Amino acid sequence: MIGSIEVVSIATVAGAIALGLLVPSPRHGARARALGVVAGAASLGLFGSQLPGWGGWLAGGVVSVVSVVTLVAAVGTISSRNPIHAALWFGLVLLGTAGLFLVAGAQFLAVATVSVYAGAILVTFLFVLMLAQPEGRAPYDRASTEPLVASAAGAVMVGILSVALGSALSGPAVEAMAARGAAARAEAIDGGSPLVHFGRELFGRHLIAVEVAGVLLFVALVGAVAIAAHVRERGGNLEVADREPQMNTDEHR
Amino acid sequence: MFLLETLIKTALVIAGLMTAAAYLVLLERWMAAWIQDRLGPNRVGIPLTRIRLFGLGQPLADGVKFFFKEEFTPSHVDKLLYFLGPAVMFTAAVAIFAVVPFGSVLPSEFGLEGMSRPIELVVAPGVDVAVLYVFAAGSIAVYGALLSGWASNNKYSMYGGLRGAAQLISYELPLGLGLVGVVLASGSLRLDVIIAQQAQSGAWNVALQPLGFLVFFVAGFAESGRLPFDLPETEQELVGGYHTEYSGVKLLLILVSEFLHMIVASFLIVILFFGGWHLWGVTGSGQEVTWPIALARVVVLLGKVLLTILFFMLARWSWPRFRFDQLMALAWKVILPLGMVNLVVLVVWVEYGAKMAAALGISNIAAMAAFGWGVFAASAAVVVWLVPGEPDNRPRRGPAWQLGPTDEEETPQ
Repeated sequence: MIGSIEVVSIATVAGAIALGLLVPSPRHGARARALGVVAGAASLGLFGSQLPGWGGWLAGGVVSVVSVVTLVAAVGTISSRNPIHAALWFGLVLLGTAGLFLVAGAQFLAVATVSVYAGAILVTFLFVLMLAQPEGRAPYDRASTEPLVASAAGAVMVGILSVALGSALSGPAVEAMAARGAAARAEAIDGGSPLVHFGRELFGRHLIAVEVAGVLLFVALVGAVAIAAHVRERGGNLEVADREPQMNTDEHR
Repeated sequence: MFLLETLIKTALVIAGLMTAAAYLVLLERWMAAWIQDRLGPNRVGIPLTRIRLFGLGQPLADGVKFFFKEEFTPSHVDKLLYFLGPAVMFTAAVAIFAVVPFGSVLPSEFGLEGMSRPIELVVAPGVDVAVLYVFAAGSIAVYGALLSGWASNNKYSMYGGLRGAAQLISYELPLGLGLVGVVLASGSLRLDVIIAQQAQSGAWNVALQPLGFLVFFVAGFAESGRLPFDLPETEQELVGGYHTEYSGVKLLLILVSEFLHMIVASFLIVILFFGGWHLWGVTGSGQEVTWPIALARVVVLLGKVLLTILFFMLARWSWPRFRFDQLMALAWKVILPLGMVNLVVLVVWVEYGAKMAAALGISNIAAMAAFGWGVFAASAAVVVWLVPGEPDNRPRRGPAWQLGPTDEEETPQ
């Protein structure tokens, strides 16, 4: 499916350069960032030119727009200096991922991604960030730790993955499948009801994994309660533990 | 053809929602006036004439006012997020209605070329995960409150946004637990299937799962942020909460989205627990419909939704607001455990209920109703027993406080 390895390599390198220039760093001025944007756009365009058609202009258009939004948001997540903006960019990444799931016919994964990650986890992040009121001026906000190594490692991984997946997913059968559109794909894979299929797979073939994950979460929950109870025990009472130190010092003054 | 159909339905839903929101504001003001023994808005009629029409022109005047007011952006706000907040909120609120049915189906003899199947009265028919989609879109709405609160760069707005986010996240859990009962009983996440099953059996879920209904109803009330639960805005403490710094069209968007949340909560309550478009002896119960029945179903569904909304408005002037710790205690200590009980009980029922009913020789529906109400009565008794009738609202002082200093205070002062 991926056209030529040369183009993919150039696109990957351009993407790595773009990331290296875009991540926060005290040495990069506005010109470096503009250059990074240009390199990133070039990388996106090169990757896009190598992608196969998606069966129909509507599905293809939706996939390209959503992919571009997701990638740009991902770059925004790691390149914005303000932690709250970074968290919001990450929310956009999650929405874009959900959109891609939806186009691929995985309805449950799409809505679960949005309601679990964007709706609960990221909101909790935002909550903490907003209470801490960071303004993006701290040194760790203004400079990323290892921009060179990070972007090089990312580029290697993206390059290997695209070439490997591209060669694995090529061939007439896959292309015929892609040309038939999302609805037909879903029909062929799981008989038209993705949810039933998903449930059977999850609680049939992957039952042990689900149970292990459940036990793990339960242990984490018990651990959190134990830590909280331990902290409160030192305060002496469950009900007033939160405000007790303050109250007591007031009393002794 | 499919695209055209979807576009027409989308336009219909959005136009209907905006009109409904405008006139529901008028209805709410009338209700307020009725309860407080005043006249309410009754002057505005047809523009440029002296015809009053009971004040039916008021929404138009309100809308025009909102658009022509000065759109003031304070200098201290985070500009981008300040604009994004209302936009996210409104988009999420409208997007929910993509999967909410506003009727049953239209008959197939529609008189259009190439239209041989019945038209389903929902923008996106056949979504397998409709119920979860509503949840996902609803959880995006949290961002609206959080963003506008934070971007306003104002302490009151900030409090409002944080309160809104905390409240919505807390009540999403019982909301889901109340919903899971219905999903377990009907075996589907599709709203149209849930309605069709209630219509088939003739017994609405509210009669079969009263405890689930109670949990869902309270949580739905809290999710829509209406008065007993309107902690995010509380005029008396936070000016306007997260929309304190907004004016003009942006304020309009926020207010309309709040109304849309109430409308969607009403739709869900009616669809999940009150049989959707089903009414005994009027609407029939099958998938094959004639024109009168199709229209009757739309009218019945919207009528039920209107009744629920009227209850929301009545509640607004009937109950005082919670305090925030009471709100959280209600969610985590009362409603969430009740939801858990409901879930466990329904799992047991789904597994053994049919066998039990057969062994007792009564019909499945009757047995389920008896079971459901029995559990309801038992949980009500437990709640009454455990929760004091006269709440002690004084700040708590535990024994440690009276017993004197603990180890940490013995350090030199």
